[in-house]
Amino acid sequence: MKKSKKVLSLMLAMVMSVAVFTGCSKPAGETNDAAPTEETAATDDVTTIGFLYIGSKTDGGYSQAQHNGTMAVEEYFGDKVKTLIAENVSEDKQTVKSTAINMIDEGATIIIGTSYGFMDGLDELATEYPDITFLHFSGNKMNDTNFGNYFGAMEEPRYLSGIIAGMQTKTNKLGYVAAYPYTEVLIGINAFALGAQSVNPDVEVNVVYINSWNDPANEKSAAESLLAQGCDVITQHCDSAGPQLAAQDANALAIGYNLDNSAVAPGSFLTAPIWHHEKYLIPTIEKIIKGEYTPESYYGTMKDGYIGLAPMTDLVSAEAKAKVEEVQAQIAAGEHPIFVGPIKDNQGNVVVPEGETLDRAGIWSMNYLVEGVTGRDN
Amino acid sequence: MNFLKITKRDDLPPKKATAIRILSILLSLVFAGLVIAALGYNPITVFASMVKGALGSKIRLQQTVLKAIPLVITSLGILMAFKMKFWNIGGEGQIMMGALAATYVALKMPDLSRPVLLLIMAVAAMVAGGIWAFIPAYFKGKMGTNETIFTLMLNYIAIKFVTYLQYGPWRDPSSQGFPKIPSFSTNAILPSIGGVHIGWIIALLLVALVHIFINHTKKGYEITVVGESVETARYAGMNITSIIITAMFLSGGLCGLTGMIQASAIEKTLTSSLSANYGFTAITTTWLSRLNSIAILFVCCAFAVLLQGGAYIQISMQIPASVADMIQAILLFFVLGSEFFLQYKVNFHTHAKKEAN
Amino acid sequence: MEAVKAIEMKQISKDFGSVQANQNVNLTVYNGEVHALLGENGAGKSTLMSMLSGIYTPDSGSIFINGKEVDFSSPKDSIDLGIGMIHQHFKLIDVMTAKENILLGNSNEKGLFINNKELTKKIKAISDQYGLDLKPDKKVYEMSVGEKQTLEIIKVLYRGAKILIMDEPTAVLTPQEIQRLFAIIRNMKEQGCAIVIITHKLNEVMEISDRITVLRRGESIQTVETKGVEVPALIEMMVGKKVDLALNKTPATYAKKVLDVDNLWVSTKDNKHALENITFSLHSGEILGVAGVAGSGQKEICEVIAGLIPAEKGRIFFENENILGKTPRDIIRMGIRMGFIPEDRLGMGLVGSMDIVHNIILKDYHSQPGIFLHRGKSAEIAKKIVKQLDIQTPSIHYPIKKLSGGNIQKVLLGREIDSFPKVLITAYPARGLDIGASYKIYDLLNEQKEKGVGVLFVGEDLDVLMDLCDRIMVFCGGKMTGIVNPDEMTKEDIGLLMAGGTAEGGSNS
Repeated sequence: MKKSKKVLSLMLAMVMSVAVFTGCSKPAGETNDAAPTEETAATDDVTTIGFLYIGSKTDGGYSQAQHNGTMAVEEYFGDKVKTLIAENVSEDKQTVKSTAINMIDEGATIIIGTSYGFMDGLDELATEYPDITFLHFSGNKMNDTNFGNYFGAMEEPRYLSGIIAGMQTKTNKLGYVAAYPYTEVLIGINAFALGAQSVNPDVEVNVVYINSWNDPANEKSAAESLLAQGCDVITQHCDSAGPQLAAQDANALAIGYNLDNSAVAPGSFLTAPIWHHEKYLIPTIEKIIKGEYTPESYYGTMKDGYIGLAPMTDLVSAEAKAKVEEVQAQIAAGEHPIFVGPIKDNQGNVVVPEGETLDRAGIWSMNYLVEGVTGRDN
Repeated sequence: MNFLKITKRDDLPPKKATAIRILSILLSLVFAGLVIAALGYNPITVFASMVKGALGSKIRLQQTVLKAIPLVITSLGILMAFKMKFWNIGGEGQIMMGALAATYVALKMPDLSRPVLLLIMAVAAMVAGGIWAFIPAYFKGKMGTNETIFTLMLNYIAIKFVTYLQYGPWRDPSSQGFPKIPSFSTNAILPSIGGVHIGWIIALLLVALVHIFINHTKKGYEITVVGESVETARYAGMNITSIIITAMFLSGGLCGLTGMIQASAIEKTLTSSLSANYGFTAITTTWLSRLNSIAILFVCCAFAVLLQGGAYIQISMQIPASVADMIQAILLFFVLGSEFFLQYKVNFHTHAKKEAN
Repeated sequence: MEAVKAIEMKQISKDFGSVQANQNVNLTVYNGEVHALLGENGAGKSTLMSMLSGIYTPDSGSIFINGKEVDFSSPKDSIDLGIGMIHQHFKLIDVMTAKENILLGNSNEKGLFINNKELTKKIKAISDQYGLDLKPDKKVYEMSVGEKQTLEIIKVLYRGAKILIMDEPTAVLTPQEIQRLFAIIRNMKEQGCAIVIITHKLNEVMEISDRITVLRRGESIQTVETKGVEVPALIEMMVGKKVDLALNKTPATYAKKVLDVDNLWVSTKDNKHALENITFSLHSGEILGVAGVAGSGQKEICEVIAGLIPAEKGRIFFENENILGKTPRDIIRMGIRMGFIPEDRLGMGLVGSMDIVHNIILKDYHSQPGIFLHRGKSAEIAKKIVKQLDIQTPSIHYPIKKLSGGNIQKVLLGREIDSFPKVLITAYPARGLDIGASYKIYDLLNEQKEKGVGVLFVGEDLDVLMDLCDRIMVFCGGKMTGIVNPDEMTKEDIGLLMAGGTAEGGSNS
């Protein structure tokens, strides 16, 4: 009885074990530097690029925004580039590495990972595959040869969105649905709060952490609890449109993130801080193809066009629009830094003294919430 | 049920059994092929790409082996329990607790020499996984609790506990607030041979060891007897509680070792998604292996081919993950379904048949 | 006897894979007839009746009920035609009352609600009609075996059965209960029911049936009028050859006590007494029988001696040493061996999926040195036992569950005997065996007795107990109601003891 069961698996397994043992005959400790196989690398002028998304490319948020960038890349390069896309890649190394390696084996010479949790996996791969270029969104690791990272000064559009919220709130309570109390998130919260306070000193920001980047049900329920507390403008640092829909149901206003969701929640949507990934990707990929790329830690600004505000809807009041446009112009001209002292944290400590302005390193070592902000777990 | 009749088969000639199995695989391919075609892909290309994606190059093969290793070791652990008819579906939790213990050692003593550190990690992992399986075994032995529910629930406790550590006390202070546990020192990382970490050697060794243990030792014999008939074991004077507990400790210990290997060789840290469903997948593979440790090796390799092939076609053909999962599910459904037809006979009861008589 | 054919089965054949369970079987049963279906285990009786009750479908042949050809596709079809099957193992739900059990699964009930009064009335009518005695509101777990059987009968009658099939109905009853059952059967017969009794107990067949159909190896051998046939002729039809059924009982010597049980009490989990104040001695060279209706404490007395369950109080001396509190393994080492054949044969003592070697190794593997299992010696023993006891098996490496019942039991007994025990406890060793095989087992026990082994024999067939045993200890509800010499007692006397009476004579403990 058992014999027959084995037949199929036996054949497969035999092939495998033979291959494993031939693999062993190579000197131990050798790395997989000769990665792309001859058959796949043969196609001359086409560069294959692998993209790893944490969510689905139609998630209505973060990953969709990433994919918009990818589509712009495809359009720009046309036949010269072939993209491989892996969706729903979980943030453990076995998945990240196995997915990226499959891409490399399929001929990819550029791997772009678009979630912070992919960082360590990509870091290891960069050592194992020196001929492949790795770009990582939102990370802080890089090397001198083939591993760079990129991100944007999201504090700028966040600040602008804060201005709208500060001017349009009636209860002076703003709600913020956030993923984790993680630096990137804290920067966004603080920028938003400072923006709101710049036009409305009485405003307070209530933050709820949902401990997930993408959990539509939880995002929505967190927003509902904020609305119940009296918040009348909701914003978010998480992926789905849940908070905007919750606001719409409660006749409140919402500022999204990542994508222009004016069609998804027309009853609440004001605007959203959004990404223009192609502004970084297209020139960088061009450099890599030409062999001119040296790893950098890119930090795109509104001036670069890498980030910005989605078109403001009709729900945004005329005076708020005018104010935003005024400040936006200053920021784009480099005349309006976001974090300017004096800034106190919500414990009353002075974190940025009078007369100081935080630079990028200063911003990215933030571990506090500014005065007027309270945070809690959902 | 009037139109068909299901009767248990006494015994099936091996030839017929083989025929049913081959037929089930063919049918699954046909059926999966139809689904693939309906979705607008060429089935032949898809199947060929799956096989190529799993075995087609050295790198792909390594990927397949990487997936087979945790599956083999976890399946061996599950086998220990199933041999005793103790339905351990707590592999996930035992993997997690093993990984947790290994991580604790790796983070506390990062500077120990590599062999010593790895050895302590492995022992700690096996003990932790073992304890996680011992708990339901103890309660079953003493109070007759249902091990299925018990082990299942312990999975969630283990995973949530790791999540808690990841977000709380063990969070890496240098990760800008991102919830991750610090990475291991290089000494806590399993070395590689042939481009794959030495887990594959451990897995092969364990297959042999478990085979010898089950078939050639007194303890293994006792476990088998308890699994076949508790009453008989009692009549033979066996201490059933102690046998159950020993076997479950070994079962959990092997799962825990999987956790250590995955943490050390793959993640180089602990994450709440480390068990990657191996604890559940291993139930299927163990079952398909008919509780035979040698068969486990082959079934798990075949399964890894399926996993890697499925992952690969997502990349190479840009097929959505759901389609790849569906192909796997269809294959499994038919193969597992064939087990039913090996044990039962189905007659269609029609009046036409009677006239023919 | 009206000559209406209630059942007519013609040329029925049925196979299960390679096993031909029925081959061209013919059976005709008339209304108002008690028809015995006689045959050894595996002769195809149950298969044939399963086809009649719609559980299986015949491969070929035809079935007529009341003259009309039928084609059952499920047990429901059979029930609808008035066929009721009373299984050997009752299919009752313990926590429900008799009434609730009767209602259960009764698809003829219309409407949502149960008309309680109506139901009680109907049950009463049926009881009166057939002379049955049943309290409708009694819970099943409070019932005696006889009452449960009565309930099973009412259950099928309630569904309108006119054709009753009874599978080994007397197996669990005392002689008195058997008489009561026979009275009920005669009653039903007078009411025009057709009754088929499946059995292998010849004297009962002679007593109750009108006609007998003998099956052998799946074929119907002959149908005879009970009046015109003798027991030896029936046996010859069943076995296919003449069988010598004489048991050679040599007088016991009572020379030496090997086991002395003194004031022994055993309690169950729910704090009832499974055994109360049991005192007896077992001598070397005797066979001490244990009689009693099922569940009277037979299992407990075996298990407490083997060390498997604790005693509440009392003492058990084995060669002047109290063995209470010792582990089963210690007791095995001392030379006390037990073979208990449960109803499913394999449940205790043997591992069905293992071969003979691995079943033999079960009792002595722990005394082997080291951690590894050594099979060599057991393989030799296996070969020896197979040869000595004439066990039919393709090899010693063949899963024993694929052997016939007799051969399985020979393996069990062979293993226990091979270790030269001083005490051999054997419960139901001939359970389910055909006549030839049973007598081989009894011969084996006699052989052990002659070798000086003290044999405790728990049996269910009183005739066998009386033929085989030197003394018979009778249990009723956990109490010992007497130890009797079978040569001085009648079956009915022992039956009274089984039902709780006390011994009037013949005691010689």
